[in-house]
Amino acid sequence: MRAVYGIVVRELVRFLRQRGRALASVARPFVWLIFAGAGFATVFAGAGAIDYRRYMAPGLVGMVVMFGALLASLSTVTDRDAGVLRMLLVAPVRRSTIALGKALSATLLGTVQAVVVALLLLPLVGLWPTPAGLLLALAAVVLLSLALGALGLVLAASIRSLENFAGVMNFVVFPMLFLSGALYPVHRLDAALRLLAYLNPLAYGVDLLKHALLSAWAGAGFGGEMPVALDFLALAGFAAAGLLAAATLLAREGGVTRTALRQGG
Amino acid sequence: MTAAAIEARGLGKDFGSIRALDHLDLEVRDAEFFGFLGPNGAGKTTTVHLLATLLTPSRGTARVAGHDVVRESLLVRRSIGLVFQETTLDRDLTVAENLRFAARLWNLPRRIAEPRIEHLLQQFGLLARRGDPMRTLSGGMRRALDIARGIVHAPRVLFLDEPTAGLDPRARRSLWELIQELRRSSGLTVFLTTHYVEEAEPCDRVAVLDRGRLVALGAPTELKRAAGVGSLEDVFLARTGHPLAEASAG
Repeated sequence: MRAVYGIVVRELVRFLRQRGRALASVARPFVWLIFAGAGFATVFAGAGAIDYRRYMAPGLVGMVVMFGALLASLSTVTDRDAGVLRMLLVAPVRRSTIALGKALSATLLGTVQAVVVALLLLPLVGLWPTPAGLLLALAAVVLLSLALGALGLVLAASIRSLENFAGVMNFVVFPMLFLSGALYPVHRLDAALRLLAYLNPLAYGVDLLKHALLSAWAGAGFGGEMPVALDFLALAGFAAAGLLAAATLLAREGGVTRTALRQGG
Repeated sequence: MTAAAIEARGLGKDFGSIRALDHLDLEVRDAEFFGFLGPNGAGKTTTVHLLATLLTPSRGTARVAGHDVVRESLLVRRSIGLVFQETTLDRDLTVAENLRFAARLWNLPRRIAEPRIEHLLQQFGLLARRGDPMRTLSGGMRRALDIARGIVHAPRVLFLDEPTAGLDPRARRSLWELIQELRRSSGLTVFLTTHYVEEAEPCDRVAVLDRGRLVALGAPTELKRAAGVGSLEDVFLARTGHPLAEASAG
């Protein structure tokens, strides 16, 4: 549909214009690789079985998807502040179409950023996955981008202003990252935290990426921890639920519309 | 077309305990240049948002371009253009990209959209700036682009919500000429809200609104004659008991 295409094109053009954002998203995982990698490597229990930097590579790819897709969706908050959202709301398209356009943009942006980073990161840490592994990794990245893009939309529709953005970063992004298995295996966490990890879409994405990229170390306990089918199912479930919730929130007059129109008197 | 461009019956909207629009009966004819005059907070923007399906009425009904604003909101939105008080352009997109984005949202095929965009760029004096990011435009040019984008899909009714607010006198004048020219050349129904009497003066008919109520409706000359006064400002004073300008400041 033309409206969805228009929304996607706009998001892509905006992303390419914001050089700083594109550069930061590619540089971020390497900063983590250098600093977090150096620190965690000294306490990593798996030392000897697998190089820590190699172990964290799938997690870093997942992190790129998270920042890429989540930030893309959160641009909806900026749209509201800049007034562009009003224009979207007065266009003859359903709210669910707007949600779909935004989620697909996030999927595309998350995927492209993750692929660029993976092309640099995997050779750097000496990971050479099989063609089947690469294909599985790509599927994981696409599905995770969609799920997190949809989740970002739900957040954006519920957040009142950019000031709350820092709160989102602290209470959503970082817990999500630390409870995803990106930096250490989930099965070593205690029961309460492990439960939270099971509610975390990023955990399933990272797990799928480990299946794809670390299969050689699966025997030593550093590959994927959950069944591949469960990862796929969970990600698809998060994506569907997120899209549904986002469309509903956008359709409420009292939700985005009222804040978008709060100047109206 | 026989149906009125806009038809409101007992239309009203409350925000909590605040009665933003009390009870509006109104009919705007096809191709009419209709002015909606009133101080800030009179309910002008609320009315526009109700007619544009962005708000749900608390009571009453309204039809725009023959479609019910509640039950047929998509059809209404397809038939109207709306220029908000504050710009809703994308700062990071270029002038042409902003128009193209709107054309896609309004589902215009490329072969129709592209010539139309060319024509609008020329008509609104933006041809030389087509490749520049919107944020580099002056206030007056931004408003011109806002209006161009509002009619990219050739709507039947164009809503202009205080289009000249915040512009310096020169930009106001040239934008005003643009609106008049657009009116003459297109035969578009224009629904204009304003708190400037000089902008209501050239309208075919004017509705005067105060505190959510319609206090006068008719051609400017008719209204002045009926009230026995020389200006729309005095019409407002005669009908409400307080001056338009003072109410604006509040």
